Amino acid sequence: MDPLSVTATTVAAVSAASAVNAVSAASQAVAHTGFALFLDGLYYFIMVPLVYLSIAVMALGIVLRIASILAAPAPVFSLKTYPARKRPLLAALGDTFGMPSIRKRKPVFWFFLMWFHVGILFLILGHFDLFPNIHIMPAASRHMVGAGFVGVSVTLPAFYFLIRRFKGQERQISVPADYLLLLLLLFTFLLGDMISWGNSWTANGFVMTKADFGNYFGILSGFSFADPRTVLHGSHYHFIVLHVFLAELFMMILPFSKIVHSFFSLPLNVLRRK
Amino acid sequence: MLDEPTTNYLKRLFETKLNRSMRLYLETCARCGLCVEACHVYASIPETKYTPVGRAEVIRKLFKRYFKLQGKFAPWLGETIPFDDIGIDKAYEAAFSCTGCRRCVGFCPFGIDTQQVMNIAKLLLIGVEKQPQILAMLSDMSVAKGETYIESSGNYLEALVNLAPEVEALAPTPEGRKTIPVNVQGADILYVGLSGAHSIVPAAAIMNAAGENWTLSYFEAVNFAAWLGDAQKQGKIAARIVDEATRLKVKEVVIVECGTATRVMKFMTGRHPFAVISIVELVARYLDEGRISVDPGKFQGKLTYHDPCQLARNGGVIEEPRRIIGALTKNFVELTPTREENWCCGGGGGLISLGEQDFRMRSGKVKAEQVKAAKADVICTACENCHSQLTELNEHYNLGMKVESLTNLVARSLTGFPGKP
Repeated sequence: MDPLSVTATTVAAVSAASAVNAVSAASQAVAHTGFALFLDGLYYFIMVPLVYLSIAVMALGIVLRIASILAAPAPVFSLKTYPARKRPLLAALGDTFGMPSIRKRKPVFWFFLMWFHVGILFLILGHFDLFPNIHIMPAASRHMVGAGFVGVSVTLPAFYFLIRRFKGQERQISVPADYLLLLLLLFTFLLGDMISWGNSWTANGFVMTKADFGNYFGILSGFSFADPRTVLHGSHYHFIVLHVFLAELFMMILPFSKIVHSFFSLPLNVLRRK
Repeated sequence: MLDEPTTNYLKRLFETKLNRSMRLYLETCARCGLCVEACHVYASIPETKYTPVGRAEVIRKLFKRYFKLQGKFAPWLGETIPFDDIGIDKAYEAAFSCTGCRRCVGFCPFGIDTQQVMNIAKLLLIGVEKQPQILAMLSDMSVAKGETYIESSGNYLEALVNLAPEVEALAPTPEGRKTIPVNVQGADILYVGLSGAHSIVPAAAIMNAAGENWTLSYFEAVNFAAWLGDAQKQGKIAARIVDEATRLKVKEVVIVECGTATRVMKFMTGRHPFAVISIVELVARYLDEGRISVDPGKFQGKLTYHDPCQLARNGGVIEEPRRIIGALTKNFVELTPTREENWCCGGGGGLISLGEQDFRMRSGKVKAEQVKAAKADVICTACENCHSQLTELNEHYNLGMKVESLTNLVARSLTGFPGKP
C-alpha cells in the first residue's frame, strides 16, 4: 500500500475515533431523564446483573437436569444394539463426536453439523479470549479468535439448519420451539458477527475494539458492577446490549430446551453401545 | 379431554416409565429427521405419523404437557397434546404401527430407542383399556397356562408322542433317550418351542442328531405381553420358563426361532444360573463342533437370508445363521441392505397376532422390493413372525420365492448317521 494512503487512513481512523469519543463524552455529559433514564437502567441490568443471573440459571438448570436424570432409576435391561463393539465407550465417543450415522446417510447435513459444533467450540474460546488474563490470541493482537471466521462458522450452519426445517418431513416434524431457538441463535450470531467483523476489518474497530470488550469482561470477571458504558463508548452500544441480551436468553433457555443434547448425547450413545 | 381422575391415573402410569433412559429419550430429541428414512413403514407409506420421530413425538408432547414447565406456560412451543380421545388414538396408531424393530436406533445420532418410547404409549392404552384385545387375551392365556400347566400336561404329552415319528424321519433318537423328552431333571438344555409341531420337530431332530441331553419345555416361548407393553405380564410369562429351567437345573435355555421371545428371555429377565441362547446359535455351535453334519447339496437354487430384527440387530445373532447357511449351500446371496441394517419385514410388534393384514402388506412394500431385488429362489429366516410375514408378502407381491425356516432347512439336510449317510 502507498505509505501516503496508509497515513491518510490512519489520520481518518484517528479523527473518526476522536469524533466518536467526543460524541460519547458529550452523551455522557447530558443527564438522562424519562425513557432514556429507563433505557440506561435496563441496559445496565442486561449488561451486568443479568449476565450473572443467566449464567446462574444455566448452571443451576444444567445441574438440576443432570441430577433428575441420575436420580431416575437405571434401565433394568441392556438397550444396546448389535453388532457389539469391543470398546463400547470408545464407540459411544465416536458416535457422539463423529456422528457417523449422519455422515453415512446425510453428508451435507453432517458437514454443516461438524462445522457448526467446531465453530461453537471456537466461539466459546473466542469469548474466553476477551477476559483480561486469558490470552488465546497474542495479547497485542487486535483480532478476536478466528478474526471473524468463527462467526461465519456458526452463522451459516445455523441458517442452513433453519432453512431445512421449511421443507419435507423436517417441516412436518418441527415444532415452534425449533424455529424460535434457531432464530434466537441466528440473531445472536449475526450481531456477534457484526461486532467481530467490525473489530477486525474496519479501520476504527466497530467503534468499540477488542480492547474495549476486554475491559467490559474485566468488569464482569472482577465483579466491580461498574457501568459498562464507562469502557464501551459509542452509539453501537445498542447492538452490544442486544447481542448480550440474546445470548443471556439462550443461556437461560439452554437447560430447558433440546440443547441439553450437548450433555445427554454421550450417555445416550453409551446406552446404545453398552 | 379425559376426566381428572383418569388423567391423574395416566400421569401416574406415565411416571412409572420415566427411568433414566426414558428421560434421556424424551428430553434429547433434536427433531433432526435422521430417523425418518429408517422406518420400513414410512419407506412404504410416506406419512409423518409413520416416522420414528412422528411416533415418539406423540409421547414427547404428552410428556411436555404434564411433566414440563413448558406444558403449563407455553404449550404451543412444543405443540403439546392432552390426554383426550385424539391423543389416545394417536398413541394407539403410533404404538401399533411400530414393529419395535429398532432400525431407527442406528440412524439416530443419539441412539434414541423408539421401541422403548412406544412402551409408554402401550401402557397408557392399557390404562384406558384401549389395548388390542387379542394381545391382551393371548397374554392372559399364557399367564394362566403357567398356573395350570400341571393339570393340562396330559394332552400335551400325548401330542408329543404323536410327533415322534416325524422327528425320527429326520434323525434317529439316541439310544436310551426319548425322541421328545420332557421334564428331564439335570438335562443340559431346556428347549422352548411354540405351540405348533413345526417349532418342535426340526429342533428335536437336530438335537437328537447331535446326541444332546435335552428336554422340552411345557411352555411356548412367545411372549404376547411384550408386544402388548404390559411389563408385569411379560415378567410372569417369562418367569414360567425361568422357574422350569431352575427346577430342572438345566445349563442352557434354548429358544425357538422367535426373535422377541429370544430377546425377552436373553436380555430382559435378569441373571440366572443358566444361559439363554437362540436355536440358531445352538445349531451353529453343533456345526462348528462337528456334532451334526448337513448335506451341502440338498438345496438347489439361490438362497437368501432375512435377519430377524430382534435376533440380529437387537440380539447379536448375525454371524451364526451365515455359518449355518455356509454349510447348507454355496449359492447364497445377501439382501441389500443386510445384517443390522436389514429392513424389518413388517410383521413384528404383535402385528401378525393382531391380523392387520392390509397394513402389514402396505407397510411391507419396501421389504418385498428388497427381497425381489435379491433374485433368490428361497428366502429363509429364523423367526416365526418374520416367516409368516414373508410368506404373506411373497403371495401378495407375487415374489415367486419359497419361504423357509432356517432350522427346518438344517433338519431336512441332516446327514451322517445310519440310514442317512
